[in-house]
Amino acid sequence: MTGKEVQVIEEIEAGSLLPAVDALRSAGWRIIQVLCVSIVEGYELSYSFGLDLDMKSLRFRARADEAIPSITSLYPAAFLYENEIRDLFGLRIERIGADWMGRVYDVVGGEAGAKPFSKVTMTGPRSEGGAI
Amino acid sequence: MNHREDTRRDDTHGESGDNGPSVIPFGPQHPVLPEPLHFDLYLQDEKVVGAVPQIGYIHRGLELLVEKRDYTDYVHIAERICGICSFMHGMGYCEAVETLLGLAIPDRARWLRTFWCELERAHSHLLWVGLAADAFGFESLFMASWRARELVIDVAEETAGGRVIFGSAIVGGVSRDPSDETLRRCMKALKPARDDIRKLSRVMLQDSTVRHRLEGVGAISKERAYELGAVGPMLRASGYDYDLRKRGYAAYGEIPFETVVETSGDCMARAAVRMREIELSFEIMEKAVAGMPSGPVSVPVKGMPPVGESFARLEQPRGEVLYYVKSKGSRNLERFRVRTPTFANIPAMVEAMRGASLADVPTIILTIDPCISCTER
Repeated sequence: MTGKEVQVIEEIEAGSLLPAVDALRSAGWRIIQVLCVSIVEGYELSYSFGLDLDMKSLRFRARADEAIPSITSLYPAAFLYENEIRDLFGLRIERIGADWMGRVYDVVGGEAGAKPFSKVTMTGPRSEGGAI
Repeated sequence: MNHREDTRRDDTHGESGDNGPSVIPFGPQHPVLPEPLHFDLYLQDEKVVGAVPQIGYIHRGLELLVEKRDYTDYVHIAERICGICSFMHGMGYCEAVETLLGLAIPDRARWLRTFWCELERAHSHLLWVGLAADAFGFESLFMASWRARELVIDVAEETAGGRVIFGSAIVGGVSRDPSDETLRRCMKALKPARDDIRKLSRVMLQDSTVRHRLEGVGAISKERAYELGAVGPMLRASGYDYDLRKRGYAAYGEIPFETVVETSGDCMARAAVRMREIELSFEIMEKAVAGMPSGPVSVPVKGMPPVGESFARLEQPRGEVLYYVKSKGSRNLERFRVRTPTFANIPAMVEAMRGASLADVPTIILTIDPCISCTER
């Protein structure tokens, strides 16, 4: 037995996020995390869920100017992940159940601030080795 | 709704003397909190009717630093996410990178990782016993548990080289190879600590003053804990048998053990899970030392990581932790992500506070065993 994590990633369309998450919730999956990766053309989001010892992730890409729906109506505990992603990446997430209005990480400037994990800027992708 | 505006509105209600909830700020600096964490507690008389958490006081942006460090060196930064789960953070990062590389580490390295994981779990839970005892005013229990913890940390120093940051996890295995004789001697040296812990367990779980403070306080049901994504002792104390060690990473697949589960879901159940897990950690360490295979402890890691990504999960003292790495094929990874157990337990912690009295809030927070350094990274 190696015990290595089995990498299960299911690609979905952004528009089918809520139905896909709802299907997992109905099947008894619990939320593990929401992951955001900044890519040149926008963001790649992965929503990971667990059932017993298994894990699977739903994956889609969003443009930088695209608003994505919150999943807190289905998984209220996702509010922390979504608030954090908005603070660090500047991603627009609509209707978060407990909206902290960009105040998770006050130190980096909050909603109107630095968005330090984002590679998307008004002038183009962040250069390698950019400021933290 | 902006919770700060909400807070101000409810504050006004409290001051005006009507029946609306009053808002009491709790933290970020508080005698029971070793790290900064803030709550706006909504109180109806002495009862908590709501709590709004606030984090963000010690965010360091360690995840972003992966873009600037060689992927084999970054393990040293991953270890410094937290001073309590340092080895497991380093090991989790290594597991994710090793999966990305398709690398199988030597058997002895897997067994040594298991030994150090359990050593770290024992010292983390003993740290928690002291902090919790201090929170409810049992100073002698606090001192006795930390005395036992010193012996555990001594063994960490002797086998791994560090008391806080073990520094022994590397991509491809481990960097230290304590001899079998050293490991056996260390297990013998831990015997006084194990004897002490059995006595401390009796105090923690049977003393009437402790029970008075913990029993029936901050209870959360099995279903609710699961729905809110709780992990670790928080989830197992509510009756849910979920322990990632059962997936068999490192050498856990070859060392039989029973998961510790309690059912009442209150502060006492969370305390009981941790007390029993300390003894379980010693048992797993004993089995690891007895079955330790011989051979090398690392394999060479050369070249660039391939383009790709991987997830890894471990069972830390506070529960399930997730690591993610993404590579673009250079020596600097593109993304590193940690979802720590305390981050996952915050919604359940807020739920556990509802209906509790103000005086019990510190105890409830402490029985989650929050680690804010982990949470904020």
